Amino acid sequence: MVSLQTIKPIDDRTLEQFGFGWHTDSDQSKYVANELVVVSDAEAEAYYEAVNELYDMYATAAQHVIDNNLFFDLGIPFNLIEPIKKSWENDVHWHLYGRFDLAGGIGGAPIKLIEFNADTPTALFETAILQWALLKHNGMDEERQFNNLYEAISDNFRRLVTLFDDPELFEKHYDGWKILFSSISGNIEEEQTVRLLQQMAIDAGFESGFEPLGGVKFDDEGIYDANEEPYEYWFKLYPWEDIAIEEPELATQLATIMNNQKAIILNPAYTLLFQSKGMMKILCDLFPDSPYLLKTSFEPLKGVTHVEKRMFGREGANIRIMDTSGAVIEENDGPYGNFKPIYQEYVEFPKDVDGNSYQAGVFFAYEACGLGFRRGGKILGNMSKFVGHVLR
Amino acid sequence: MKHFTSAKHIMMGTMGLVVLSALSGCQSAPEEQASTEQAEGQNKFLVVEQLSSGKYVIVEEMPTTGPSRAIIKETDENGTVHERVMSEAEMKELADQEYKKMEAGQSELNAEPQGEGMGLAGTILAAAGGALLGNMIGNALMNNKNVQRHQDASNRSAYHRSASGMNNSATSNTQKKSYFGNSASKSTTSSSSFGG
Repeated sequence: MVSLQTIKPIDDRTLEQFGFGWHTDSDQSKYVANELVVVSDAEAEAYYEAVNELYDMYATAAQHVIDNNLFFDLGIPFNLIEPIKKSWENDVHWHLYGRFDLAGGIGGAPIKLIEFNADTPTALFETAILQWALLKHNGMDEERQFNNLYEAISDNFRRLVTLFDDPELFEKHYDGWKILFSSISGNIEEEQTVRLLQQMAIDAGFESGFEPLGGVKFDDEGIYDANEEPYEYWFKLYPWEDIAIEEPELATQLATIMNNQKAIILNPAYTLLFQSKGMMKILCDLFPDSPYLLKTSFEPLKGVTHVEKRMFGREGANIRIMDTSGAVIEENDGPYGNFKPIYQEYVEFPKDVDGNSYQAGVFFAYEACGLGFRRGGKILGNMSKFVGHVLR
Repeated sequence: MKHFTSAKHIMMGTMGLVVLSALSGCQSAPEEQASTEQAEGQNKFLVVEQLSSGKYVIVEEMPTTGPSRAIIKETDENGTVHERVMSEAEMKELADQEYKKMEAGQSELNAEPQGEGMGLAGTILAAAGGALLGNMIGNALMNNKNVQRHQDASNRSAYHRSASGMNNSATSNTQKKSYFGNSASKSTTSSSSFGG
């Protein structure tokens, strides 16, 4: 059973003052819960250990995919194979951050990997800033939260320059290289997520700029803002597979820019390998004894309740839960039906007294660095709520 | 053994300060520019800590695109640490007072430092005088050897702004292209379309 503590919410106007404008969902319900999930230190420690181990497993699996040319199995668009290989070969293509979605971990249930959002994870503002603000607002001890996300990502920005050296050496090596941050226009959540990342980069010591995706300019020599100012790094909160499919000419252009070593794109192209849910089948092949993995296959599973997902489905869309006979128990429609399916053993999420399900989201930036929860039904979709946590 | 690290506002840099300001009722959304006459990026976010000697040192210093702000951590006679947020206006007033004392030869900044740290006004003036009082005073402070020595003795922050920004402009004559013609603004809702 999930243990909750009721807290005093922060009013909408104050939330907006510090940049959190997406506090109300389209059905007018509040997006942020008035409760915190109570987590023990041992449970937080277990999340930390699990996610660090899972990331190492993903890195091993990515090498396996590249060595054995398994891109087709994972549904990787052909025009991104070269950028993926290129980015994997050189450490300067540093993975800034990702978020592991996990079942279990609280109330005695074992931690199980649901998926890895490695390319364009959101819930960053909620996890790094909002849930900490809730502790402050309620006069609680701010240190009782597994959350050093802000500092961890700032340090990871410094590692773009220092790589595996101490990020404290950043200032010694930094030579004014600039990062351009981009999101699509007209979406508050995505723009504020990107602006938060930009602030983390500024705090790290980087020069930076912001340009909506449509205003960014490209040629073989690099990536520019609308004023044709060149940037050495480009962070795009836009999925790699959408670039490949909807903007194939840009995919080719970005490959050229990478080959010419004119700019580095974040998150790197290889994060699309991690993002593919097909990787969880590869993980099962390589790590059959891992306690963190649910059985995953490219074929429907026989004799167990299981879930059909699409390789690049997001936010609970195009998900079907099937019972042991293969009959559909629950399903969500969505726009990802053209991607290949994978099948994963079903696991119950931890529940509260009202029967709501909780999925843990643990961020990774060089190491596991921040925990938050989503609350909803059997399938956690776009209308699920954010729930912060407190350590006890 | 505990390996994970906990939340602390001191680790949340500029955003931590923005949130604390909003929670305490001071308006300071990151977009709001307080001092438009100053060059962008000059404004400072400072964390100032009181030493057991009663003097103050800078423990964090970062540039911010919002207004200048400071968190002041002071220890009372019972050893309890109190934190308060100082607005740009308050910082400016302190820095201005100290600069006037300096001009009158009555500031500790006029002499060489005696050990680590100094008074609160002097600490703020030395660290952010340019951002608070304008470039002319900033330059005068930069060129004052005693102020520089005080700055070294009262600033523990790792941050030193890189002066060597890349100023190479785009010289390529090739045609630059934009993309995302159809998708760049397709979403008008507040909810993320692909956050996962």
